Amino acid sequence: MTHSLHRKGERIDLAKDYVILAMLSRGINDKHADSRERLKKVGKILSNHHPTNIMQEKLWNVSPVITAAYDDHKNVRNALHKIKSEDLGISIVVSGLIDEVQSLANEFGFELNSIHLSLGTFGRVENLPLDEYLEITTMCGHHCISVQSITHYLEQVKEGKISVERAAEILAQPCVCGIFNTSRAATILNTLFKKKALE
Amino acid sequence: MKINGEKCIGCGNCIIICPVQAISFNEENKAEINRELCVECYVCHRDADCPVKAIRSERLKWPRVIRNPFSSVVATHKLTGIPGRGTEEMKTNDVTNRFKVGEIGISIEIGRPGLGTRLGNVELFTVPLCKLGVEFEERSPVTAIIDNENSLIKKELKDERVLSAIIEFKIPHEMLGKIIELIRKVEKNIDTVFTVGIISRILNNDVNSILELLSQHNLEAAPNAKINLGLGRKTF
Repeated sequence: MTHSLHRKGERIDLAKDYVILAMLSRGINDKHADSRERLKKVGKILSNHHPTNIMQEKLWNVSPVITAAYDDHKNVRNALHKIKSEDLGISIVVSGLIDEVQSLANEFGFELNSIHLSLGTFGRVENLPLDEYLEITTMCGHHCISVQSITHYLEQVKEGKISVERAAEILAQPCVCGIFNTSRAATILNTLFKKKALE
Repeated sequence: MKINGEKCIGCGNCIIICPVQAISFNEENKAEINRELCVECYVCHRDADCPVKAIRSERLKWPRVIRNPFSSVVATHKLTGIPGRGTEEMKTNDVTNRFKVGEIGISIEIGRPGLGTRLGNVELFTVPLCKLGVEFEERSPVTAIIDNENSLIKKELKDERVLSAIIEFKIPHEMLGKIIELIRKVEKNIDTVFTVGIISRILNNDVNSILELLSQHNLEAAPNAKINLGLGRKTF
């Protein structure tokens, strides 16, 4: 699906929000004897470069994609460097700031194939929740994170029952793909918490 | 999805987690699912951690069963072979060459983010797009539920509610203006939200040409995007 596209936020916040996706193509390169092993090798590389979230390892055996989220440009850079050196032939898609991904591509000599741009949201936008909530919910590409769960866990933070980091981890649970960036979510929750405290 | 009212202890876990706010307390303080609003995404069943196991899946019948592949992240549609309601689109374009130089791919995801949609809304786009002669992605779950002749949604599916439905198609560059005009027109009449994505090939690592084309149509893309790095191969 359009998956990691349409993640909302200001440029400064999006600079701490990257997704790397590795994918086999159905009927083309998914039937070789070592297709799965190659995909899982990419999964291991993603896992070794400090993702804030990653698809559960048990799904690596069945899913045609493996995905991970990052909050640090350096970790994305190092992961891509390793992926390139392994030359596994698996399709890799990076979601992030366009100019930064371009810059990494130029550094490593990638010949970029294609881009999927977001033109944003149309229609009855007046029925959408506040932007800060959307910045959190749109980090799950299948929209499995509810708005009322954000309010609920913010309340728990306010009552001192959990930290914003723990709230972000709980919110991430329905995101099976592991592209919900828990580190960025904690930052947004903290902003929301401070706003609420001032109300 | 159903909740066993006799077992429910009213903890509210499922109410908190439901992405479309389809669950609420009834007069007896038991959680109850609004069958009209429920999109059968199964998030409550998977992640609500119901302490008394009161949430249970049911054997969905036609046409309600269509809600599941358009709403659940783990449901794999038989056409696409991948989990979720989309396709490989540009994610494997370095292997498939689905989008060629001179072509633009367009994704319109109705109901996203989070408001959901009736499948009938798909027709607002597919019927006029069909008249313009666009080529719909043949492996898309949406293409499977429209008829080939005029792109109407099957009658019995129109009122089925889903988390989102993605219309995917490609056009030559010169047709972009007509598509944008159509999007602007539908925007005024639709009762939910939709997102629009634009796919383009990249030559010489330069993305300016597509950004300039969008600018000619008074469109501005978000600063973040999905980029296929060109590392995939057909054979290893």
